[in-house]
Order: sequence, then C-alpha cells, then structure tokens
Amino acid sequence: MGPLIPQGLIAGGWDFVIALLLGIAFGFILEASGFSSSRNIAGVFYGYNFVVLRVFFTAVLVCMVGLMYFHYMGWIDYNLIYVLPTFPQPMILGAVIMGFGFISAGFCPGTSYTAMAIGKIDGFVFTAGLFLGIFIFSEAFPLFEDFYYKGNMGNITIGEFLGISNQLVTFIFVIVALVAFYVTWLIEKRVRKTITPFKFE
Amino acid sequence: MNKNYIILAILFIILAGGYFLLPERENIKQMKPEDLMRDIVQTSRYVTTDQVAEMIIEGDPTLELIDVRNEYDYFEYSLPNAINIPMDSILVEEYQDYLGIEDMNVVFFSNDDILADQVWVIAKRMGYGSLYVMEGGLNCWISTIIKPEAPQETASKEAIELYDFRMGASMYFTGSDISTPSEEGAKPVTVKRKKKGSVAEGGC
Repeated sequence: MGPLIPQGLIAGGWDFVIALLLGIAFGFILEASGFSSSRNIAGVFYGYNFVVLRVFFTAVLVCMVGLMYFHYMGWIDYNLIYVLPTFPQPMILGAVIMGFGFISAGFCPGTSYTAMAIGKIDGFVFTAGLFLGIFIFSEAFPLFEDFYYKGNMGNITIGEFLGISNQLVTFIFVIVALVAFYVTWLIEKRVRKTITPFKFE
Repeated sequence: MNKNYIILAILFIILAGGYFLLPERENIKQMKPEDLMRDIVQTSRYVTTDQVAEMIIEGDPTLELIDVRNEYDYFEYSLPNAINIPMDSILVEEYQDYLGIEDMNVVFFSNDDILADQVWVIAKRMGYGSLYVMEGGLNCWISTIIKPEAPQETASKEAIELYDFRMGASMYFTGSDISTPSEEGAKPVTVKRKKKGSVAEGGC
C-alpha cells in the first residue's frame, strides 16, 4: 500500500500539507518533552540530563519497529522509501559543527523554533544566527562544494552496508538503545548527586 | 527505576526479537484481477512497428526494447539496441533492473505478438508500469518496415506518406539505397490487379 505518495495513492501536491501537519505535531512533541529549554538539551553534554537521547532514541525505535511490522503486513514497502545519500567525511564534520552549536547554544534548529514559539529570547537569537549561518554558507558554497560532495556512498542503509537484514539491524539497535538508556540513567544519577540540583521549568 | 520503563524495554525487545519468529510472508505486489482484466482488454498497450521505427530513428531516450525470444533467435536477428530477456527468464532477479525504470517505456517484442503479450501480462502482474507490446512482432516489422509493400496508385495520401516513411525507415535499418530503376534495365510496369484488396497499413 504505502508509501502513499510514491505509490500514487496521494497526489504529490499534498506533500506540503502533510509536512505542515507533521511539523505541528513534531513541534508539539518537542515542546512537550521539554526541548524548548536549552538546559535540558545541553544537559546531555554535562551528564545531568539525557532526555534528548531518550526521546530521539525512542522515536527512532518506534519508527524502526513500526516500519518493520508495516512492511511485514504489506502496508508499506520500505524499498520505496527514499534514503538520503551518505557522505561520511562531510557528515562527520557537519555533526561536529552541529554538536558545537548544541553545546554552546543549547538548541538544535528544531528546538530553537519551539523556544521561539514560547517567547524565549535565546530562541530568537539562535534562530537569527541560524539564518545568518545559512546565508553565509549559501554564499560561500562554491568554496566547500568539493568537500560537500566528498565520498558519496549513495543511498545506502546500515543493513546494506554491513550485509545484514534490516530486521537484524533493528534488533541490534533496540538492544543498543536500551543499554544506552540504562547507562545514561546511571550517569545521570551519579552526576546529579555531585551538582547542585535545580528545578526544571 | 520506574516500572513503566522496564515494561516498555521488555516490550521493545519482544517486538524486535519476535519478528524473527514470525513465519515468512511474501508481499506480492501483484495487481488485482479486475485491474489486470481491464488492462488486458484495452489495446492501448500495443505500439505499431511504425511508432517503434520512428522512436528508434529519432533516438528516443525513453524507449527500451526487450526481445523476449530465446537467445539464439536474438543473435540471429533483433531490433537495434534491444535487450534480450527470454520469456522463461523474466522472473530472474538480475533482469528486474531493466524493468520499472522511471520514465522508460518498455516495449516487448517477439516473432509475433503472442509471446510478447504473455510476457507483458507477467510483468504487469509483477507490478511494473509503462509496458507495451510491439503489435505484430518482428514478422510485422519485416513486412512493414524492412520490406514495405507499395500501396496501390489509387491509395489515399496518408497510405502513400506512410509508405514513404517506411521506405525511409527501411533504408535506415537495412542500409540499402533507394532503388531507382535504371534507364536501360527498366522494365515496363505491368499493373496486376489483385484478387483481394489488401490493407495498405498495419494488418499484422
């Protein structure tokens, strides 16, 4: 049956309407999970709050397991889902830059909008910086172009790369995530003892 | 630790691990019998040899010719740039990449159009789109494109234009020159009346 747009069950023009609805839902969940607070987000790096890791890992797990069963039931053909191409070196550099932004400002692009939505000044400043960064990057793009497209591995998934089934990847990922939940819970417990506790908004 | 977290963790392990215990299930992307019947009844899947010739001559990049006869016949004679996928190999994995390419129009052909039609049905059931059959197959190709039959003098303008196109196509595909009767060897043309009126175009 699915995916709905590539299969022609929904006309392509609905992309934006669906994107808007998903965006609203995503923003709502981000805000409800406490992601509009930069303390919650930056807490991952200091070890006192791993809510970011838990929320995103849980989202990924639900998605992976759900997709697997949807595929099994014949509701979705995951071979038709678009997989973004992988560029290892540029992606690693991008992740480092993103992490740097995360730790210094306490937001990622999405959460800065939720912070802005509830009227936080730091959210506004971050978003302004984000657009400035986009502008500078776009203007200077020819300088980075070669590196930007370096090492294209194509539209590859982890399963294809390792030569194992998607089901096995999902299972391994579930185990890794649960171990990560437990370890971060232990770290959180230890770190919170040593720092002065504060109340989350 | 909160009890709910433990329950959720166990649930995830069961869901992810449980998948391996499920019986094999093949999701066949085949179309519904009603849809297949509707498509079979329609003749829109047929393309004429003239259309195919025109597309080859124009170098249409969306044309993908697939010869469904056996390998021996394919090497004996086939259309330019045609790929050989014998009918019994249409389900083979390595050939699947040739079908269902975006924006490509796949045209099956065989000696007549029966074998190509059968392959068309199989490929259609496999869920591929943009599939066509060359009407009349290679027999029709020979009689219309390679050795076109001259229309009667009283034939319509369209029939004569079609004949001109076919003659041009014949030259294109066979490399033969225009056969202009030489002055000396010219024989008087004797017009023979045919017993049955033949249809100038198509007919395969």
